[in-house]
Amino acid sequence: MGGNENNQEAHGLLEYGIMRTHLHSRGTQFAVAVTAALALFAADAYAVIDGLTGSTFTLSANDGYVLGGDGLSIYTWGFANDTGPMQYPGPTLIVNQGTVITIFLKNYLPEPVSIVFPGQEGVTATGGVAGQLTQEAPADNGATTVEYQFQASEPGTYHYHSGTHMDLQLEMGLVGAIIVRPTEFPVDQWAYNHADSAYDHEYLFLLTEMDYDVHLMAEFGLWDQIDTTTFHPVYWFINGRNFPDTTLPSGTPWLPNQPYNCLPRMHPGERLLLRIIGGGRDLHPFHPHGNNTTVIAKDARLLQSPLGTGADLAYSDYTIASLPGQTVDAIFEWTGAQLGWDVYGHAPGDPMEPFEYAPDHGKPFPVILPGQQELTFGGVYSGSPFLGAAGDLPPGEGGLNVYGGFMYPWHSHAENEIVNNDIFIGGMLSLLIIEPHGTPIP
Amino acid sequence: MKRIRPYHLLSLLMCFGVSVLPTSADIFSQCPTDTDGIDTDGDGDAANDHVCMHVTAGDGFVNMADGRLMYMFGFHDVTGLPDADVMADGMLGAEFPAPTIEVSEGQKLYLSLSNVGMMVRPDLFDPHTIHYHGFPEASAIFDGVPGASVSINMGSTITYFYNNVEPGTYMWHCHVEVTEHMQMGMLGNLFVHPIQNNLPNLTDLNGFTHQTGYTYAYNDGDGSTYYDVDYPIQLHSFDPVFHDASFTVQPLPFANMKDTYFMLNGRGYPDTVNTAELLNTADDEGYEARYSQKVHSLIEATEGDKILLRISNLSTTNFYTLTTTLGIPMKVIGRGARLLRSASGQDLSFETNALNIGGGEGLDVIIDTTDVGPGTYFLYTTNLNYLSNDTEDFGGMMTEMVIAPLAGAAADEQRSVRLRRVDTTKRIRGGKPLR
Repeated sequence: MGGNENNQEAHGLLEYGIMRTHLHSRGTQFAVAVTAALALFAADAYAVIDGLTGSTFTLSANDGYVLGGDGLSIYTWGFANDTGPMQYPGPTLIVNQGTVITIFLKNYLPEPVSIVFPGQEGVTATGGVAGQLTQEAPADNGATTVEYQFQASEPGTYHYHSGTHMDLQLEMGLVGAIIVRPTEFPVDQWAYNHADSAYDHEYLFLLTEMDYDVHLMAEFGLWDQIDTTTFHPVYWFINGRNFPDTTLPSGTPWLPNQPYNCLPRMHPGERLLLRIIGGGRDLHPFHPHGNNTTVIAKDARLLQSPLGTGADLAYSDYTIASLPGQTVDAIFEWTGAQLGWDVYGHAPGDPMEPFEYAPDHGKPFPVILPGQQELTFGGVYSGSPFLGAAGDLPPGEGGLNVYGGFMYPWHSHAENEIVNNDIFIGGMLSLLIIEPHGTPIP
Repeated sequence: MKRIRPYHLLSLLMCFGVSVLPTSADIFSQCPTDTDGIDTDGDGDAANDHVCMHVTAGDGFVNMADGRLMYMFGFHDVTGLPDADVMADGMLGAEFPAPTIEVSEGQKLYLSLSNVGMMVRPDLFDPHTIHYHGFPEASAIFDGVPGASVSINMGSTITYFYNNVEPGTYMWHCHVEVTEHMQMGMLGNLFVHPIQNNLPNLTDLNGFTHQTGYTYAYNDGDGSTYYDVDYPIQLHSFDPVFHDASFTVQPLPFANMKDTYFMLNGRGYPDTVNTAELLNTADDEGYEARYSQKVHSLIEATEGDKILLRISNLSTTNFYTLTTTLGIPMKVIGRGARLLRSASGQDLSFETNALNIGGGEGLDVIIDTTDVGPGTYFLYTTNLNYLSNDTEDFGGMMTEMVIAPLAGAAADEQRSVRLRRVDTTKRIRGGKPLR
C-alpha cells in the first residue's frame, strides 16, 4: 500500500543562481560551475517526470494554499498523497501497462468528492455513496474510503479529476496526471509500444487556469455566491505553477503545495517528449519556440492508420491546440541545422559536435551585432550567440545561463495567458533549455 | 567547457565585449553581398540569394472599421531608404498589420530592425525584437525573445538573419513585453515560396507537368498544392480599452483584456474589401496622418482558379473558426508550415467547412473554384458575434471572395463541362434520375 516517494530531484533553474557567487570575472568561471553543478545533479535519465510509481495509491482530497507567480496565496483544493500535504496538481501516477491500478480516495473537503479516469476502460468503484458519475466520498473528514480500480490496458498520457460538482472542483484544483508506461519500458524508453515514441527526455505539461474570485469566496465559505458561469481566469498554470515558478526546481521548499516544475532540457540531436494535458476548462494554443514539434498521439492513442504501424499519421506543427480534457504527445527535436552559420562559433578546423550540421561548420556569424549600449539584455542570455559559449554582459546581468545554452519560451500563444493576475510576465510559460553536449541533464 | 574560438575579428571583438559599432545609438542596416557562387534559391542566378528588408518599430494609429481611431504599436517598411532618413520616416509610421514578408526557399533574409521610439509616449523606452514564428531550428539570438537574447533600444538597429529552407506559411511579431506589444499591433504575415516554383519548364512531377510561372504551396512533388492566386489572411483582434489606456498613460489592463474589434489583416469588414491603403485620422489628435493599413483581404480569382489562403492567427485572446459561403468545402493541405503528408507519404490533407485556428497556428487552405459559379462570396467567422466592429453589429471578421467569370469560349466550355458532370451524377444510382 502506498506509492513510492515523490521524486524530489532539484533540477531547476534556481541551481544556476548558486553559481553566481563563483563568477569573479568573465570567461573564467566555467570549470568551477561545471564541477559544482555535477555534484548537484543526479544522472537518472528515467525519473524526470516526478510522481508516484506502483499499483496502489491513496489520494486524500484536501485543501491548502498555492502561491501565484505574483506572490498571492490562493486557497486551493487538491489531492494529496495519503497523509502528505495537499498538492496542486494531484500526484502524477506513473504505472505500467497491464497492471491493475487501485486508488483509495479519502475526503477532507466540505463537500463530497469522487474521481473519474477519462480514457480508462472498465473502471469500478466501491464504497462511499453513489454520485452522478461514480461513487463519492462524503464530506466526513476522511472516515469513508472509496476504492476505484481499473486495468491500465493501454500506454499513454491520461489524467484524473473529480467527478463531483466538477465546475467548482476542477476550478479549485482537483486534477492530476496519469502516465501508463508501455510494456516495452524500461527496456526501451518509449511512450508507446513503438519506436516512433522513443524519447531521451520526457516532460509533463498539465495546463490549467484559475479564476481568483472563486477561490477567494471558497476561502470564506461563501458557497452560495460562487458563480462559475462568470468564469474569468487570471492565473494560468503549467504543472500547478505560474512562470517564473515553473522554472524553479521541483520540490522547492517555499512552494510546499506545488511540488512539480516544468523545465524541459535537452542536448542537440535528442528527442524530447511533451505530454500535454488540457486539465482545465479552456483551450490553449501551446507554442514551443525553437522548432516544430511532431504530434505522435492524442488521447493516449498513437496517430496510427488502420493498416499502419507506429505513428504513421504523425504530423508536424509549430503550435499545438490543447483542448480541455484532451491529452497530446509530441516529440521535439533540435540540432540547429541549416542555419547558415556555425551555431557553436567553431573555427573550420575545430572538431564537430554530435549532431552538428556539417555544411555549416566553421561558417561565420552572418551579421554584426549592435554594441552593448544599443541593446537590452535578456536575463537568461549567456552573452554570446553561440551554443555553449558566454560573452560580455553588462553589470548585474548573468548567472542564469551557466552552460551557455539556448533558451526558448514554451508558452500559451493566447498571450493574455502569460500574465499573473494583471502582472506581465507570468502564467502559462516555461523555458526549454538546449544545453551544449556534456551538460548533465537528470 | 567549450569556449568561443576567436578565429575571426567579429567573434573576437564580441567575446571581449568590444563594440564594433559606434557606442552611440545608430541606424545601421546590413545587406551583405551574395558572393558564395551558389544558386541556393534555384532561379538560375547565383548572386541574388540575399534578400534584404529594413523595418522600423514604433507607435502610430489605425482606424477601426467603425471609424474609431486606435493608438497602436507596429512595424513600418523602410526598405531601400537611406539609413539617415529612417528615423524621420519611421516615427509614427507604424502599420497594421506589419509589412508582409514574402521570401523564397533558399533565400537568405537579412532583416534589419530599427527602433524609432514612441512619439505619443515619450515616457516609454521599450526595446523591440522580431520573432519569426515557426522558423525551423531557430537560434536564440535571432528568435527575438528578449529574456533569452537581446532586443534593440531606441535609435539603433539590429539585423536578423534567416536562411529560409522550409517553405510554408508563418507569421512574425514583436516578442518584447509580448502580451502588450502584440495586443498593440506589432503583427504581420510571413511566407516562404517552395523551390519547386523554380523548376525548369515542363519538368514532370509524377504525372503533373510543371510550367514556368506555376506556383505551389509546398514541394509536393506532384502538383497537389498548385495554386493560381494566393492571399495571406491573418486574424487579429483589438481591445479598445487596452489601447486607450496606453494612449492616455494609464496602467494596462492585462487581466481584463477583452477584444471587441475582430479583423482580418488589420481591418474589420467592410474595410477588409477596400483595396486602397487606408489613411488614418491621427490628425484628429494633433499628429500627422499616415497610411497605416496597407493590407486588404479582398480575395479575387477567376472561375476555375485554385485559391491558396495562407491563414494565421495572432490574436492575443481567442481561437476563431472560419467558413465560406462558396458551397464547396475547403481543402487544408498544410499546417504549421508543413505539407500535410505523413513521413511515409500518406496524404493527410482533409476537406472541411470549418477552419478552427488558435493564436500562433497557421493553415494552408486551397479552394478549387472549378465548380463554383462566378459571383461574390464571403469568408467569415462562424463565431457570429465576432461579425462586429465593437458595438457596430455588422462587420468584423469577414471578407469577400469575388470569382470572376472566364471570358469567351473557355467560359462556355467550362460551364458545359460542369453541367455534364452534374447529369452523370444523377444517373449513377440504378439508372433512374434523382429528384
